[in-house]
Amino acid sequence: MKEILVVDDSKVMREMIVACLRAHDGLAFTHAASGLEAIEKLSLQAFDLVVLDLNMPDIGGVEVVEFVRAQDKLKTLPILIVTTRGDEASRTRVLAAGASRFMTKPFTPDAILGEVLGLLDEPSNVGDAGPGP
Amino acid sequence: MSGPVDLREFVSGFLVEAEELLQSANANLLAVDASVKNGESNPRAVRELFRSLHTIKGLAAMVEVEPIVAIAHGMEAVLRAADRAGGRLQLAAIEQLLAGSKAIELRVRALADGRPVAAAPARLVEALAALEAPASPAGPSAGATLALEPELRAKLTDSEREQLAAGIGRGKRALRVDFIPSPARVAEGLTITTVRERVAALAEIVKVLPVSLPRNEDTAGGLMFTLLLLTTATDEAITVAAAAAPVDLVPKGAAAVRAVATDAGSPDDPSAERDPLWDELDELDELDRRRGGVVRVGVERLDDAMEKLSALIVTRFRFGRAIAALAAQGADVRALRQIEGEHRRQVRDLRTSILQLRMISTRELLEPIPLLVRGLQVATGKAVRLSIDAGRGELDKAVAERIFPAIVHLIRNAVDHGIEAKEARLRAGKPEEGLLTITCFARSSTHLELSVSDDGGGIDREAVARRAGREVPRSDAALLDLIALPGLSTRDKATTTSGRGLGVDIVKRIAEELGGELFLRASQEASESTSPATSPATSQRTSPATSPATSPATSQRTSPATSPATSQRASPATSQRTGTTFTLRIPLTVTIVDAFSFECGGQVFVVPVALVEEIIEVDRTKVVTGPRRGDRTQQAALIERRGEFVPLLALDELFTLPHGGSANKALVVRRNGEPFAFAVDRMLGQQEVVLRPLEDPLVKVTGVCGVTDLGDGQPTLVVDLLALSSTLSGRPARQGMEVAA
Repeated sequence: MKEILVVDDSKVMREMIVACLRAHDGLAFTHAASGLEAIEKLSLQAFDLVVLDLNMPDIGGVEVVEFVRAQDKLKTLPILIVTTRGDEASRTRVLAAGASRFMTKPFTPDAILGEVLGLLDEPSNVGDAGPGP
Repeated sequence: MSGPVDLREFVSGFLVEAEELLQSANANLLAVDASVKNGESNPRAVRELFRSLHTIKGLAAMVEVEPIVAIAHGMEAVLRAADRAGGRLQLAAIEQLLAGSKAIELRVRALADGRPVAAAPARLVEALAALEAPASPAGPSAGATLALEPELRAKLTDSEREQLAAGIGRGKRALRVDFIPSPARVAEGLTITTVRERVAALAEIVKVLPVSLPRNEDTAGGLMFTLLLLTTATDEAITVAAAAAPVDLVPKGAAAVRAVATDAGSPDDPSAERDPLWDELDELDELDRRRGGVVRVGVERLDDAMEKLSALIVTRFRFGRAIAALAAQGADVRALRQIEGEHRRQVRDLRTSILQLRMISTRELLEPIPLLVRGLQVATGKAVRLSIDAGRGELDKAVAERIFPAIVHLIRNAVDHGIEAKEARLRAGKPEEGLLTITCFARSSTHLELSVSDDGGGIDREAVARRAGREVPRSDAALLDLIALPGLSTRDKATTTSGRGLGVDIVKRIAEELGGELFLRASQEASESTSPATSPATSQRTSPATSPATSPATSQRTSPATSPATSQRASPATSQRTGTTFTLRIPLTVTIVDAFSFECGGQVFVVPVALVEEIIEVDRTKVVTGPRRGDRTQQAALIERRGEFVPLLALDELFTLPHGGSANKALVVRRNGEPFAFAVDRMLGQQEVVLRPLEDPLVKVTGVCGVTDLGDGQPTLVVDLLALSSTLSGRPARQGMEVAA
């Protein structure tokens, strides 16, 4: 069973993401409604992948990625950024911070499932621009 | 793999969240509006506004509602620029953003009603795009003066630094609290989310920063959260809330530092005096924070929960019967009975809890009012000061939804017809700005009273009487009866805001349908010092964020029922009139049921749909008449229904009504597993009705469980066929069937 952390401050958005991914067997889901909650859960529990929104209260997705990549044990955790049109400018920033992939809402169920399965299969999941060893 | 996922199935979830986001957006827009008018920036409100719109846009894109995406996108761009400029917005931008919010709301509503969603208004989208980016704030950032590690300081944005500086300038303390999460704390329910919520009840949280720590026994997660706050709370209170002691960000006694921070925070405003508006904004903040722990759910989910609870109750009955059967076989069922009793109490408590979930606060009910009044001011060109005392009451969401249009109607009337134009007010020696006062408080454990008062010219009794072709009303009650005549108008031209006439008839209808009442207190002579609208006690506040406490003065003032003397005193003379008060008395809860309406014995009745198993045709050739039932006058009749004989009872006879007609339909109900059919003359239809219990014990009749209003203003009795069937002789139906057989 692969543990996926779904981070978005919108509950219905988290539900939509889970509905898209649930189509695949062998995935389990944990919700986090804020960047803070995500960081807390990631520090206390092991996950196989994070689906992360960018625009959230207190700390946004970019800050979550920056923090996660600064942790030794989370350096290779796959992070899929899922965000709204208009945040494209953040794309470079969040990929530079070490996010693995970036996709824009609206997305199709197939697209997000494809990204997630792709990331779970990859031996090394850190994006090209991520901090090197 | 399961079937394909259709994200449009999430529309209902989208609607609930969109409504919540729009409400928060409107509250923040009003906060920004107040700040801008005061020459201040409001970075926090701008940031939250931006987030709301951004989330709406993302969700709308997922459920494929492009017009909302387009409007939200335009608004978001304006807000992004404003955020980068330290939370500064121009007044013109606020107007366009309010228009945008309204446009989204209309489309959300269309979507909710299943109507087609209109395209994004091109002019609005263009206007949003044309808004110039506001100038960036000048001057040094206050962040430099904060006692914070450079790497943390670097993580603050300009607008967050400005927020801190402005807060310090307003006399708040800037604090830092560190929270270290751990599995043990999670087990105690102490997470960053709960800590944040608790701290937010005491302080304005400017930023929460995650900080890596070396891992050891105390820092299992290698993580610490640093919360930066603005507050007036004590260190002790913060320590309790955050499970850690706070540290001042600005060293105590650093008056110079504070002054620097103030200047940086509001470069446009050299005055160091605290504007009283800030108190109100702080109060708004406070209310905003209290919203923190609220989860909104669709009513249909609550109804679903209620339905599942009903199923649970049925199971409990079966459980009870099974125990009784065991007992009959001689088993020792004492322990089981004890469990059953406990279970019954638990189910009852659960029912109470679910009913509680349907309650919303009166503050929430009145939340859209400031925005409405703002719009009315723009539309009418009148200056209106709004004072709201929402009180602390709660009412059923179903009541709130039904009464809200009536409140809107009264407010529109007050601004449109009540409050005079500026020139007329000045001529009458009144302040240029009209005063609209809305108070709401619980009248008893079952009712609340909501009053809408204006200090306008009042109602011209003579004009109303002339128009209605009646005598000049001498009391307020008589005046209300007159103005509530359907279609009566004291205006010749329809205005855009409240349409033609007063529409008081509609307000009255809504109140009465809910089992409430509408009162009027009108036209006090100017010399009367007790005139409600001019009482200074009500004119203190201008924001919805008013103290929930209701002064005794208010309760007396807004209680028309208890002040008959004043209604009598009202004079029809044409002296200067100051103000009108309409008061709605409404029940806190209502029971809404789906019901069949039918005619019987020349009268209309309703019966809850849930009670009726089937509606059958009465084929007289299949009716068997049995012997008279004991001392009853009614003969036992039986009707064949799918090979089974069912007692057929004439409802008109049971209610001793004259024989109305054919009695060719029958409603089948089942009591204790036995079917009964009640013959009626004609089925009229099916609709949702508000069920009101019969409170007067003198009018209680077996078989009648309440009254309702089908929209004709006449009370319609709600019949309880189960109770009726239980009173029909001591003899069970089965015997009747044996007779027939």
